[in-house]
Amino acid sequence: MNFIDKLLNHLRRTEQGICALAFATLVTVLFTDVLAREITGSGLHWASEAGLFANVVLVMAGFGLAGASDTHLRPRFADEWLPSAWQPLLQQVGYLLTALFCGVLCAYTFSMVLTTAGLEDRSIQLGWPLWAVQAILPLAFGSATVRYVCFGIWPALVPLRLPEGVTTG
Amino acid sequence: MTALLILLLALVLLLLRQSLFVILGSVTAAAYFSVGEQGFSNLVLDSWGALNREVLLAIPLYILAGNIMARGAMAGRLVGLMEAATGHLRGGLGIATVLSCAAFAAVTGSGTVTLLAVGAVMYPALLKAGYPKALALGLLCAAGTLGIVIPPSIPLILYGVMTQTSIADLFIAGIGPALLLTGLMLVYVRAAGRGLPVQPFDAPSLRAGLRSGALGLLMPVIILGGIYTGYFTPTESAAVAVVYALLVELCVYREMTLKGLLDTVSETGALLGGLFPVLIMAVSFTVFLTYQQVPEQVVGFLAGLISSQAGFLVATNLLLLLVGCVMDIGSAILILAPILQPVAASHGIDPVHFGVMMVVNLEIGYLTPPLGLNIIVAMGAFREDFWTVCKAMLPFVLLMLAGLMVIAWWPALSLFLLG
Repeated sequence: MNFIDKLLNHLRRTEQGICALAFATLVTVLFTDVLAREITGSGLHWASEAGLFANVVLVMAGFGLAGASDTHLRPRFADEWLPSAWQPLLQQVGYLLTALFCGVLCAYTFSMVLTTAGLEDRSIQLGWPLWAVQAILPLAFGSATVRYVCFGIWPALVPLRLPEGVTTG
Repeated sequence: MTALLILLLALVLLLLRQSLFVILGSVTAAAYFSVGEQGFSNLVLDSWGALNREVLLAIPLYILAGNIMARGAMAGRLVGLMEAATGHLRGGLGIATVLSCAAFAAVTGSGTVTLLAVGAVMYPALLKAGYPKALALGLLCAAGTLGIVIPPSIPLILYGVMTQTSIADLFIAGIGPALLLTGLMLVYVRAAGRGLPVQPFDAPSLRAGLRSGALGLLMPVIILGGIYTGYFTPTESAAVAVVYALLVELCVYREMTLKGLLDTVSETGALLGGLFPVLIMAVSFTVFLTYQQVPEQVVGFLAGLISSQAGFLVATNLLLLLVGCVMDIGSAILILAPILQPVAASHGIDPVHFGVMMVVNLEIGYLTPPLGLNIIVAMGAFREDFWTVCKAMLPFVLLMLAGLMVIAWWPALSLFLLG
């Protein structure tokens, strides 16, 4: 249990680091584009593509962080429809089901990455191999699978849940 | 029969407490299977396509700029300025609350952040000044929702993404309705503030407040001014907003630490990680619906039931009010906007006007039980019980319904700045 806790903490810290780097890249690239346009009269032609890639990485790292804090958007109006005695079991089954869904997505996104690598697809402006950017998808879904399996097996690891959308308004 | 099975699947997942991205993703995959397509392959390809939209870049940047300002010194300074400007008027502290919320919302783009940040300062101040608890609670919760329609508004961006409507136009169209709702709340609080104490006008405090809060007030000017004059696209203005927020908080106010900034970035990342998966699953579902010509069928079906524009507006607003009671605004827009907007267009309703009306309608959902987000947040933040908060909402819900009716039936209020 202690090992699992440490593993999940490492995952969270890694995702936090990736998230901060991706945010820094996104802001720097887009702001430099505006600045370059104003100073030299022409912006960075690759800025929006680099921004999009940074956003993909940011969102997928954030996907892990949302899982780590258990703050994924969830409709709650049906929470009381089943007997309250069933809730602990339902919660565990629910986490394992989420893990299954993330696992399936991990497999399918991995297959997409392999196909893209096989086709040697490259991005239009930067010329980067697309599979390198797409690789964040199976990694994020894989990480989520591990996390939700742990939540399903050891409910004590589930963090206290805040009201969703607290800052989405 | 297939549709019923898919609905049953959604219900089972709902009972198993699944997140919205799992429900939407499973329903979309099942829908693709039902027409003989590769369910998860299509879901993954659609999702990758959805992530590759430049317009989405504005969302993380506006949320980050707002969160930096919310975590920094902005709230206290804006509240101080508004108090100094309105303390001498009847209901002055209430007016300061509404204006603080409106100004703060314009800076952060978030209703709940506004409620938490302004409420932490203003709720004790309102009670101390003799405002009834219900009035103070209702005022903060209702004025907190102004952030949802005042640009930059994340729900308006989501609507724009899902219906291919110009986000710059939506931002500009949000100004008129935001002013109307702010005005309605100001009139109400001035009337309700009869008999409450008034402070003498203090010019030095106002000057000090202006010096202290001016940089915060410049943020919406930069964002909207840049977009309106064509100087920035919404995405570029979001990047400028983040840099401006960082400069103000780190170099001018200097109350935010590096650790505070990293925590803010991490929290924003988690928030985006909750929002974007739902967004991309909803885009995939919309691709499926479009591929199956469902919007056209819905338009055809509803045309037989509702023939007039007025009838459609009434039915849609009632539906959205119900949805707003049980679903958060982001999810409701992602699911319903692509279905309802073509029907609205078939009734001759401008997509920009419809988007603003939809967002204002769902904004009311923040104040309605059982799942109004501002009710839940106010219960926690101000330590009040559920029914006390719900009863406090009633006059403000009626006020906002009156505003919604005007917005729905008077398109020019939203569209006048767009020519």
